[in-house]
Amino acid sequence: MDEIVNTLRKQFGHHSFRPGQREVIDDVLAGRDVLAMLPTGSGKSLCYQLPAYVRPGRVLIVSPLVSLMEDQVEQLRRRGEKRVIAFHSLLDEEEKGQALASLADFRFIYASPEMLQSASFLAALRRAPVSLFVVDEAHCISQWGYDFRPDFLKLGDVRRALGNPPCLALTATAPPQVRDDIIRTLGMREARRHIYSVDRPNIALKVEHCRSPEEKAERIIEYAQRLKGPGIIYFSSRQGAEEIARRLERSGAGRVAYYHAGMDGEQRLLVQQQFLHGQLDLVCCTSAFGMGINKENVRFVLHFHMPAQLEAYVQEIGRAGRDGAPSLAVLFYADGDGAMAQAVAEAELPHPHELREWFRRLPEGAGLDRFRVWVETSRFTDIQKRLLSYVLEREQSLVFGAPTLLGERVAAAVEERRRWKRKKVREMEGWVHELSCRRSRLVHAFGEELAVRPDRCCDRCGLSLGDYVGRESRQTAVFVRDWREELWNLFFGGRPPHEAAK
Amino acid sequence: MQHSYASFLLAWCLRQFRGERTLAAAYHLFSGKKSAQTLQDSKWFQLEPFFGAWKNVTMSSLEAAAGWLAEQRLAMVVGDRAYRLTEAGEGWLSEREALFPRHMNGWRYHEVELPFWQRLSLIGQTLSNLNAGRRFAPICRDERTLRWVKRYLMDKGGRAALTRELYEELLRLLAAVSEEAALVFTLRLTSADRIGWTAEQIAAHLQKEALYVEFLFRDALHYIMAEAEAGRSPALAELMDGLAPVALTQSAQKTYEWLQKGKTIEEIAAIRRLKRSTIEDHLVEIAANVPAFSIAPFVAAEKAAAVQAAAKTLGTRKLKQIRDALGGAVSYFEIRLVLAKEVGRWMKS
Repeated sequence: MDEIVNTLRKQFGHHSFRPGQREVIDDVLAGRDVLAMLPTGSGKSLCYQLPAYVRPGRVLIVSPLVSLMEDQVEQLRRRGEKRVIAFHSLLDEEEKGQALASLADFRFIYASPEMLQSASFLAALRRAPVSLFVVDEAHCISQWGYDFRPDFLKLGDVRRALGNPPCLALTATAPPQVRDDIIRTLGMREARRHIYSVDRPNIALKVEHCRSPEEKAERIIEYAQRLKGPGIIYFSSRQGAEEIARRLERSGAGRVAYYHAGMDGEQRLLVQQQFLHGQLDLVCCTSAFGMGINKENVRFVLHFHMPAQLEAYVQEIGRAGRDGAPSLAVLFYADGDGAMAQAVAEAELPHPHELREWFRRLPEGAGLDRFRVWVETSRFTDIQKRLLSYVLEREQSLVFGAPTLLGERVAAAVEERRRWKRKKVREMEGWVHELSCRRSRLVHAFGEELAVRPDRCCDRCGLSLGDYVGRESRQTAVFVRDWREELWNLFFGGRPPHEAAK
Repeated sequence: MQHSYASFLLAWCLRQFRGERTLAAAYHLFSGKKSAQTLQDSKWFQLEPFFGAWKNVTMSSLEAAAGWLAEQRLAMVVGDRAYRLTEAGEGWLSEREALFPRHMNGWRYHEVELPFWQRLSLIGQTLSNLNAGRRFAPICRDERTLRWVKRYLMDKGGRAALTRELYEELLRLLAAVSEEAALVFTLRLTSADRIGWTAEQIAAHLQKEALYVEFLFRDALHYIMAEAEAGRSPALAELMDGLAPVALTQSAQKTYEWLQKGKTIEEIAAIRRLKRSTIEDHLVEIAANVPAFSIAPFVAAEKAAAVQAAAKTLGTRKLKQIRDALGGAVSYFEIRLVLAKEVGRWMKS
């Protein structure tokens, strides 16, 4: 039997590949540089995990988020893989030292881009060469990509420093311009492009126009009560997520929790696991929720606020229907939402006035290192700092001798970013106000034409919500036993014999 | 408006502070600030239970609680952001004595409660799933905890015996805390059937505040840790491995080591490249925590006696007031050392 299919069965327990996987894997195994754009939820990680079991060697995976790495590591371990490690800022020095000394023993090495700036880490990687260099969420490389991370720009240098191992760049959402950026930045040669449509035919699309935020809240609660679950509801503010979660709970919509980055790690993990285990029906959350969560049967994704760009929207609704069953995405829109999305997006940019003030207070004749520290200790937000450091690195020749010019360059870069963000919000709004097929408009934004229109397409093509309404009985009040019985149940399962409950 | 648990906690602090500290002192206490002042305060005013017990406290939530207490005439302003309880406030508080988490010991456990809890909940989840024959995703992502628990379970061998032992110890210990705290604690645990609940979810279920639930949880957790440390719970005691709290902050410990080698304050400051005032802070911390440490080399006996007398006569811990009363003849450092030592002695008795 085909060795690759055999590995798929033995190692991953699947009997067939999903669209795109096999083609990507064949090219990876042939040692080619590959850019793969596969829709959300299509099993991208298999594209580098499977080859690792067919060919000996080490795979280095660069990933932008610690939580994403942790999820991947956890999944691999659950499949029985012991030779896996993640290097990121939360690892302490002692653990790092130990792991570096035994780097050659690992099959999968996950690392954050900051870690790859460490000389000792690179030296260890050179001693234990990697056979495949994987960049996950590769759209982070491009400043025109959703969730741009300047750290990713240095990955081209890192790859060169490691002797140019074959490279696999993975993304779910990269318009053509971003794809070119990825290939150029990573220095990929004769890259094979495997581009699959961003379209997810089993997710029906709908926009609800509301007159006010209160009407939105009422409608969203109505939907959440009636639709077949489980479901996710996205908000652009933590407060909004918490508030609607409480209202939903009171309305008897089922078991609800909220999730955002303001919660501590344990509480976040609890909510995530409850949702995965079907112990929650609804999660009200910010964009912090969902990355790396492999829940197959999410039936709907609602948006209380419009995201600031289509790429974000595609990512978020892509969490529905991974099992291929009919699912629904509804975006709730009220006048003024565009301006709000705009404000949220622009909050990521330093205000021109603050920027001028900051440059004015800059110490005379500061070198590049001083600049870096100055950025780090400034009162800008993390995202603003990321942008500032990026421009400073790019324009570093101006640091000496031409601080005024540098200030202008930074201001110009911020302005350029602002214009780009406005364009993205307008594109998103254009989709909301689209009068003909939404699906067609969506794929068009990614440079595609819609090949096949599914029966349940979008509200413009005609959509009956009846298909998505379910009257499965949702638990509202959760039954809780006496703590003694709970404790017994934890250790032994079932209920305690009568005398033990005393 | 109904009172919140925050107002109860603050009222408790105000009673202990007797108008001698501002809201900032309560803030530092709850957030667990490692300054000599806060460490000393928490001992002197017998507020050790609350030290570092509410790490994400905000100044505005304390201000709101103080505002509510003042509005209800339970507390009154006695200075810049300093309050003291009124007679009505004292009465109000003593009626609510039952809300006080009596096993809580933030002073001792605020730094090690998290790893201890992670170990316990992960062991619980692991045993529960192994016994139910299910695969699971660990409820903890901390690599050190994961490694520790793995080694622990491998060394342990007999799963059935361990399951029994842990169940029986937890059953016995939880029976000793309030029924409410026992329920909160159990609901936070993760089993094969149920992922642990967040404080917020438990609060909604009990129709209580999340903050109150957090304190109940810690009350039970600290009780378990204390019993484990006291050797009354052998299986759980093993979970304290490497977590026994140290009495001194790391930096003060270093200073103490130099002192024992006969170095002076100046010499230590020079060796450690720290300010003299920092070393003085360490000495105050050592005086309060190490019974064997004598302050005699740093404060003349008669001065020490005078400070003690002044503190007693004036019934205050306010450094300035004591210094003024003694005509400025003693330094702030000397006063702090004497008071710290006294606190230590009083703690022991």
